[in-house]
Amino acid sequence: MSTTFSQLSVLGSSLALLYGLILLWRRGVPAYIAAFAGQSLVLAGVTAVVAVFGGQRDLYWVAALLVLVKGIAIPALLRRMERRFRAERELEPYVNTATSLVIAGLLVLVGYGISRPLVALSRLPTRGGMPLAMGLVLVSLFVLVSRKKAVTQVIGFLMLENGLALLAVLGTYGIPLIVELGVFLDALLGFLVMQIFVYRIHETFETIDVERLSRLRY
Amino acid sequence: MSVFTALLLPPLLAAALAAAVPYRRAVGWAGGGLALVSLGAALDLGRRVLAGGAVAAGPQEVLRADALSALLAACVALVAALAAWFGPGLGPGDEPRRARRFHVFAPLFAFTMLSAVTTNNVGLMWVAIEATTITSAMLVPLDVTKTSVEASWKYVLLGSVGIALAFGGTVLGYFDFVSLAGSREAVLNWTVLRAAAPALHPPVMQLAFVFLLVGYGTKAGLAPMHTWLPDAHAEAPAPLSAMMSGVLLAVAVYAVVRWKAVVDVAVGTAFSSRLLLALGVLSLTIAALSLVIQRNYKRMLAYSSIEHTGLVCIGLALGPLGAVAAMLHLVNHTLAKATMFLLAGRILRRYRTTEIARVSGLLQAMPGTGWLFLAGALALAGLPPFGLFVSELALVRAGFAAGRPWLMGLVLALLGVAFVGLLAHTNRMLYGPPPAEAGTGPESRWPLVPLGACVGALMVLGVMLPPPLAHLLARIAEIVTP
Repeated sequence: MSTTFSQLSVLGSSLALLYGLILLWRRGVPAYIAAFAGQSLVLAGVTAVVAVFGGQRDLYWVAALLVLVKGIAIPALLRRMERRFRAERELEPYVNTATSLVIAGLLVLVGYGISRPLVALSRLPTRGGMPLAMGLVLVSLFVLVSRKKAVTQVIGFLMLENGLALLAVLGTYGIPLIVELGVFLDALLGFLVMQIFVYRIHETFETIDVERLSRLRY
Repeated sequence: MSVFTALLLPPLLAAALAAAVPYRRAVGWAGGGLALVSLGAALDLGRRVLAGGAVAAGPQEVLRADALSALLAACVALVAALAAWFGPGLGPGDEPRRARRFHVFAPLFAFTMLSAVTTNNVGLMWVAIEATTITSAMLVPLDVTKTSVEASWKYVLLGSVGIALAFGGTVLGYFDFVSLAGSREAVLNWTVLRAAAPALHPPVMQLAFVFLLVGYGTKAGLAPMHTWLPDAHAEAPAPLSAMMSGVLLAVAVYAVVRWKAVVDVAVGTAFSSRLLLALGVLSLTIAALSLVIQRNYKRMLAYSSIEHTGLVCIGLALGPLGAVAAMLHLVNHTLAKATMFLLAGRILRRYRTTEIARVSGLLQAMPGTGWLFLAGALALAGLPPFGLFVSELALVRAGFAAGRPWLMGLVLALLGVAFVGLLAHTNRMLYGPPPAEAGTGPESRWPLVPLGACVGALMVLGVMLPPPLAHLLARIAEIVTP
């Protein structure tokens, strides 16, 4: 049973990481949104698997919240944003696709490297997924620095959060519920604030290319 | 009523009131009054901590205040009260829409900071600090302009990413504890973590600390993650800049100090000290050089914040003596920087520009503001008889005592550069003929009273250490020393 458990958790983590790579590989925002929604559902799935096999009943609630907030609500808001800025695509990122993918591969290796003490220490059957979660964290950070459109950066940030949530659920079977609820509230409010600013950037600059945000120097 | 209720409830009430009714001046007055209640509670908290040690309340001791919390809570409540009284909506000619937004979000911002420093649960501390980004980001573009939108976008994105990394660090710390003990009860409590720290695993805690330092360091404005700070602090309305620069940075440093106390027990002090020194010296360097080339006085003050936060980090790496000096420096900086940003707001109102070159004759046009601005600049430059001189001196002495003379030489040289930059710019603003459009009408007097009191307090701190503060600092030294 525990081998099924560990296989499922590694499978889920790999899928989550692959969804993260879509941000570097595709150009269209709809693909990014779909990837984020898929990744969130995978994360909810992994959380539910830990709830079943690990016997953590709190995690059912967390999985349900993940589906509702990150699987449905936030992607819906993102799609609305995308319809508004349809013309804006990630045509010329700071780093091109091929290089980006190579760097992402290296970052996943780095993720493995820095997770070694974690995997060595943990006795949980889910530990095999932790390096992948760390890889997702690093890849999301790379998306944030190498992409120019505000919407892409928001999705990169959301994926960073997913990576950290994955790390938490794999490494510790979930943080205490009260903290988890606070984290959810912050994630949702933080996203809403970012959304307000994306609209405002569009109103004032008539583009959401953050490269144009360069009035403030020194 | 518990002291925590008196501390945390008033800002919530103020925000609820401002949100519930259309703005009128009475709402602003009520908000200011409630902020004073909160300040009273913070001072009472300090008194109780001095009398009987840490105060705790709530299920699983979710609220707990020791000397470190009490000191920070007093700083936050003080600056929040100043901001409430200096906020838009109390003077003539303020737009009700702006005033309402300010009086909803500024108390919420204060509430999140007060919660961050009084919770025992490091997970909830993270939640509260993340919430500071959300509440304050809503206020940066109080006036929508291209620059304020740009500044708030950088702020919200970098702040959120940084704080997400701090969450990663928190998770790693929790992971280590759970792998060790397996128990899930209240283990995110700082007291529990601190007690268990000797058995925690160095490699994991080192990784956790890197995440935490980069994460909370971003909020604290440490280089190289500081790029959002000058923009946000310069574009925000003056009372918000005062809160962000005066206490938000201090709250972020507080989070680092809490974790450092745990990590140092598990790993030894050398690891965290090396990292803090590296970031601190880098921040100090970048800030000192940027101060020299500034053309905007609000950005000048923002870079000065980076300078002082860097200095605080260096102090934290210099053993117990350095930690005490750093904490004293934090208090001094809070007083000085909150005052300076509020004064900068008054200057901006009169001159309608943030460019240093277009402000002249300040002493003639607004004598009260001008003299206080001069005093504040001298204080920030680290001259006697102001508190920052004493804390910088203590910090440098701690550095020599810790056997780091070369480092201290570098720090002193950089402080010298910052000194020249700050005073040269201030000088340009103070003298010469005031431009015609600035007028020579009388300036409103009453706001100068609290600001004058802050400058007075800085002078008191420059000549003596009041006994309650000295006792608090001694307790803090016990908390932060492994």
